[in-house]
Amino acid sequence: MLNYIWAGLIVFSLVFALFFDVRDLSRDTYRNGAPLPVALDFEDRVFDPDADRQPVTLRIALDTYGEFYNTDARPDSAYAAQLRRTDDGLEIRLDADASLPAPLDQIRDTTNPRDQALQGTFVGAQLAAGASGAIGGMEFAPVRFVKMQAISAAALDFADTAAEIALGLIGILVLFLGLTKIAEDAGIINALVKLVRPVLGPLFPNIPKDHPAMGMIALNLAANVFGLGNAATPFGIKAMEELQTLNPEEETATDSMVMLLAMNTASVQLVPPVLLIALIGLEINKVYFAIVLTTAGSLTVAIIAAKLLGRLKRYRDTDPMRLASSTSSTQPDEVQS
Amino acid sequence: MSIVRTLIDILSLFVLPALIVGVPMYGLAKKVPVYESFVEGAKEGFGVAVRIIPYLVAILFAIGMFRASGAMDALATFLDPVLSLIGMPSEVLPMAIVRPLTGSGSAAIVADLANQYGAGALVTRMASTMFGSTETTFYVIAVYFGAVNVSKTRHALPAGLIADFAAMLFAVWICLWLFG
Repeated sequence: MLNYIWAGLIVFSLVFALFFDVRDLSRDTYRNGAPLPVALDFEDRVFDPDADRQPVTLRIALDTYGEFYNTDARPDSAYAAQLRRTDDGLEIRLDADASLPAPLDQIRDTTNPRDQALQGTFVGAQLAAGASGAIGGMEFAPVRFVKMQAISAAALDFADTAAEIALGLIGILVLFLGLTKIAEDAGIINALVKLVRPVLGPLFPNIPKDHPAMGMIALNLAANVFGLGNAATPFGIKAMEELQTLNPEEETATDSMVMLLAMNTASVQLVPPVLLIALIGLEINKVYFAIVLTTAGSLTVAIIAAKLLGRLKRYRDTDPMRLASSTSSTQPDEVQS
Repeated sequence: MSIVRTLIDILSLFVLPALIVGVPMYGLAKKVPVYESFVEGAKEGFGVAVRIIPYLVAILFAIGMFRASGAMDALATFLDPVLSLIGMPSEVLPMAIVRPLTGSGSAAIVADLANQYGAGALVTRMASTMFGSTETTFYVIAVYFGAVNVSKTRHALPAGLIADFAAMLFAVWICLWLFG
């Protein structure tokens, strides 16, 4: 299933990117080659033909803009800009922090991704020295296949982010794995196993009695309940490692692993994640009850789904526990309690 | 309800200190060489983090590409008629699609809704409930299975997605019932 979804994500991103790019080309969304009508205003100064760069205010008529790009987005009434003299004529360059309407923001990102400033050539009547303003057009570098560029940029970006996330986990992993080891040596995990066995036992029938895996699962679920997302991950990983020691086939997930995963994605939470509180503030008090109800419902569904799917023929046939007990009768069968 | 809520809140503040201080203290009482144990267990941390990199990169870059391609918008338009059947406002749909895929992406959607409609609006509450009640399924699968080098995940993804789908439905219905 993961194979298909993974390939699907990649293939469909290419398909959709192509579709949107071709649509943009056929609709001429970016008006490549056509100058956007603008007015330049030198405010209380005048045009100096010898200056390499001079400040200027750029104005775009609202209705003209909407008509030109066939959009509902509207620009600001005025933009601070620089007028620069180049070999190709006069170049207008907006400040980097200007808030631009669509599709100008896209044009900026595509034509000048490095410094995030919109720039284009001024076309129109020859500017005379001493002029206080001018009317003309701003022509941008052509913009094509935006989505195509976007998906390749995203692939590289996210590969980077993924490695960052993984390495960023190191500190917390080290802290909690260290604490877990102490808890193991002090016998806390074993005590926990006895405590949760009656509740969790039926959900994880393949874990032998008194195996530490059960304790780790309990810690993982408890960390989730108390909203300690940071602690839940190391405990969950530890639980997976314990479950892996029971797994006769290294590369394939056991039913217990799937159950743990399902319970984690549904994540029982009595304490909402800190990030959510940061986002909506005191409103959290209103949605708190809704979150608890939803999470209880989805946990139930997760457990039922994991159990029922495990009974399907295709998943039962790949169960490492079942395979091990049926193919190799010589191996000591300690996992099947 | 609010007293229970306050109690849980206060309790949760004490869980972490209790864990970090309590475990070594108890270990000391049990005559465990706590420092040595800690370091021995902690050594694993770096290996685990490095081990999950390939799994996380595989999942995240595919999701990143999918988001950048504009497929989400297309999907939202495509699914719009189905939504009215289950009572989900179309503003919340991106959340339902993005939630299992990325945590930061869905947080951005909550922020955006709160910004546009206000934190107290029904759509924001629905999105917040979805955000608070489920985990990023693909991330959890990449990290947990990555840590033990399991690549054949069997029914983990379908089970997780079914639970996510149920959570989205429950969030819509419960919010309609409580605030609608």
